[in-house]
Amino acid sequence: MTVDPAALFAAHQHRLFKYFCRAVGPDTARDLTQDVFLRVSRATIPVAADEEVRAWLFHIARNLALDHHRARLRRPEPSPLAEEGSRLATQDVDLAVNEALAALPDLDRDVFLMREVVGLGYDEIGRACGLTPDAVRSRIHRARLQLRERLASPIAMRRTIPMRHSGRHT
Amino acid sequence: MSDSHEVISAFLDDEPFDSNALAQALSEPSGRELLIDLLALRHLVRTEGKEASALTAPTSWRSSLRALVAVAALVVALVGGYLVGERRRESVMSAAPSATRVVQAPAAWKDVPSGRMP
Repeated sequence: MTVDPAALFAAHQHRLFKYFCRAVGPDTARDLTQDVFLRVSRATIPVAADEEVRAWLFHIARNLALDHHRARLRRPEPSPLAEEGSRLATQDVDLAVNEALAALPDLDRDVFLMREVVGLGYDEIGRACGLTPDAVRSRIHRARLQLRERLASPIAMRRTIPMRHSGRHT
Repeated sequence: MSDSHEVISAFLDDEPFDSNALAQALSEPSGRELLIDLLALRHLVRTEGKEASALTAPTSWRSSLRALVAVAALVVALVGGYLVGERRRESVMSAAPSATRVVQAPAAWKDVPSGRMP
């Protein structure tokens, strides 16, 4: 039994793109999403349950995001986020969210994004990042507490708007 | 914030959690505040995700627009061709007959039997 790389990619490209948007920014997200496809097309796709394959896919995605961050550290570029400073941070909630995410440790940011943006379960995130589900839960919670602190003002504003609880991401 | 509030994260994520621990966490005002703040945080992060997704939309949006323009051009061409054809047909039917010249035979005109010249 073989898995068609194109079908696999088509099924997950939207989630991958959303993950990369938050992890590395929308400018690079499309390129890295394509890079995942390239790697998948060259790799032997594990014949396993959907959750396992998804975890494998996001393991690749996470490695690409880490490579991107490392390359950027070696070759520092003026970061638009840092340049724009607090002026936009107060005006643009999205920018504030991205800044807060960028301030998290890599692993904490990844587990948080895989849960909150991609909608993976703790088991899947654990497989993708080499962590136990308990460790995933702790890291997600820690990331949330840090983000809560950094985004206190946007959160306070958001609390004034009606919300709904949606545990599983669609 | 204490680790005892991790159960709130697990609850938010639809992961298995200890209901007693959750009840304990939510019995404290700080736990309830945290729950609401984490929901607001989720909305903040996911809302931007939707906007980010919209960044990819131009590709499909443009291709849809292109298809729409192509269909519109085809319809215009068909309707235009039909109207032009109709107009031409009407003009052909309503046009005056082409002019003819009637020549009166002179009074001295004589029919000459064929084959005999005077």
